[in-house]
Amino acid sequence: MNCCLCNQKLQFIPSWRGIFLYEAPDVACAPCKNAFSKLTLPGCKYCGKEGEGKCQDCFYWEEHGYRELIESGKSLYRYNEAMKDWFHQYKFLKDVLLAQVFAKELREALANERAMIVPIPLNEEKLRERSFSQVDQLLLSANIPYKHLLEKCGDTLGTKTRQERMATQQLFRLNGEAVPKQLLLVDDLYTTGTTMRQAAKTLKEAGAESIRILSLIRA
Amino acid sequence: MQAIEAFLRGRIWVKQFLPFPEELVQAAIDKGDATVISGISAGGECARCLENSSDYVIPFHCATCGNTCRYCRTCIQMGRISSCTQLVLWRAPHILTKRPHAFSWHGKLTPQQENASTAISESIRKQEHHLLYAVCGAGKTEILFSPIHEALQKGLRICVAAPRTDVILELSPRFQQAFPDTVIHTLYGNSPEQTGYGELVLATTYQLYRFEEAFDLLFVDEADAFPYSLDPSLERTVKKAVKPSAPIIYISATPSKTLQKQIAVHSTIFRRYHGAPLPVPIYRSLWNYERHIRKGKLPKVLTEWIQDKLQKKQPFLLFFPSIELINQAAPLLHKIDPSIQTVHSEDPGRKGKVMQLRAGTLSGLATSTILERGITIPHLQVAVVGADHRVFDRAALIQIAGRVGRSAKDPTGEIVFFHNGITRQMDAARADILFYNREGRA
Ligand SMILES: [Zn+2]
Ligand SMILES: [Zn+2]
Ligand SMILES: [Zn+2]
Ligand SMILES: [Zn+2]
Repeated sequence: MNCCLCNQKLQFIPSWRGIFLYEAPDVACAPCKNAFSKLTLPGCKYCGKEGEGKCQDCFYWEEHGYRELIESGKSLYRYNEAMKDWFHQYKFLKDVLLAQVFAKELREALANERAMIVPIPLNEEKLRERSFSQVDQLLLSANIPYKHLLEKCGDTLGTKTRQERMATQQLFRLNGEAVPKQLLLVDDLYTTGTTMRQAAKTLKEAGAESIRILSLIRA
Repeated sequence: MQAIEAFLRGRIWVKQFLPFPEELVQAAIDKGDATVISGISAGGECARCLENSSDYVIPFHCATCGNTCRYCRTCIQMGRISSCTQLVLWRAPHILTKRPHAFSWHGKLTPQQENASTAISESIRKQEHHLLYAVCGAGKTEILFSPIHEALQKGLRICVAAPRTDVILELSPRFQQAFPDTVIHTLYGNSPEQTGYGELVLATTYQLYRFEEAFDLLFVDEADAFPYSLDPSLERTVKKAVKPSAPIIYISATPSKTLQKQIAVHSTIFRRYHGAPLPVPIYRSLWNYERHIRKGKLPKVLTEWIQDKLQKKQPFLLFFPSIELINQAAPLLHKIDPSIQTVHSEDPGRKGKVMQLRAGTLSGLATSTILERGITIPHLQVAVVGADHRVFDRAALIQIAGRVGRSAKDPTGEIVFFHNGITRQMDAARADILFYNREGRA
């Protein structure tokens, strides 16, 4: 088996964990994995972006009618060159296997989670076109159970400016499943935070009390 | 020929992305002229690149068709195809249509070039594979013109494939000029759409994924890495793109031993078109160069070599084994002379920098990649910094040495292997160059 990112032969290094506990085999080599850059703690209380206190994006939301909607949150990686390449190949070239690159890290971040894990959904049309949901696939690869509570309404974000995005109303609706008191929203890429804020708003109105968020990447 | 036939003949194309109205495509399918196949066969083989290893053909739950689909990772850069992707092929038999093709190349071949050219034409007539083994600067492209013209006149469909886009872009205008009324398609990643039936196709090797039994004659340029031991799917693809009896002409300055054994008929040119011998590499030790550069110090021997070239106003290339090392060396080189620039394979400005070096506005270039071939920089001097590094194998070192002394006006120049210990690859490269010079004199 070769590294799924650089196609060099993978060196198998047995570890005690691999011997005693079941662990999925690595799909990426060490140099490729080292090219991704983990965010250091502590960062923004809501999204994990590095810096003192709240980041600019989250500050904006807190000041504009979304105060305390999200209790807390974090992101795992920076959006550096290696991550941009990974994201492009995963999402746009639809290389489903690449979900496994972060299986271990997502598992570590979510294995002891007690709140219900809720992925951000794609709309039906987009899902059929893309053939897989990139957030679901990340969780599946990490072997983390999740449940969908939301459906995406029509329009996608792609072509809108930041202002238009922030002003957009109602990105999501409930799918009819019962909404628990505690939940954790998961998305792949946190850019301005619109998606997460909108999802949280819909869920809070449906009775959720504590909403935390996790993104794989903070742009 | 209808537009849809001209487009599809010999090609294998995703149905969804055909540039024709659906009714037209459906009519061709109903008539039996075209046929639809699954992107991945039931047995797990990719129909486009013939990949069949389960390491690269990956099952997943597909939301498009609602089933477990498989997709191919090997050719994913050309747009992913999976089990539920429909591919269209043209099946109606082809009638060879001969027509005269204009030929407007009027250069003169050296006797060695002439011999090789005749031998290649002969092989094409006999439908046998052929290896053209010619040193850097032998004038390979001109050798192909006459055999290609003869084949075009017979109505054969021809492809010239090369691994790098650079090479294809460099060949394209030369072929357009030589064959002004031939329909020539130039295909590489994101190339503009070409219309009509390509009689002569210039394509990167990867673009051959999109052809099946298309060509009556195929030239594989820069076949140095053939049979592509690192990428067996490319070799399969080359064979898939040609008709079963089509001759394949391999062209290389450094063919592998395997290729030399596989192909029975060879022609060799060990002499440059200008007749002067190839410059022979000299060795200079450069102990712990990586550590020195990392610590911000350029080794003295190297500094002196650069200063010597600056003083003589000779343009130079410095080959480095990695981009990382170039980046570390860049400020140190700037300190010696601000007009030393760096360039790497993905640098969009690389062509411009090479031109500046030739024009004399840059004194030298530090590079991690073999630059555009076919570009002749008079008086060029070359140093390989870390010639012992594993990226510099025999073939790469011969190619690098081949940049020197290409100009007829000044066929000399220095090629220095700065090293941290002599490797077998260095010795093999040097021995080959000495061998070419001996043979070329004869
Ligand atoms: Zn790798
Ligand atoms: Zn934030
Ligand atoms: Zn394939
Ligand atoms: Zn499918």
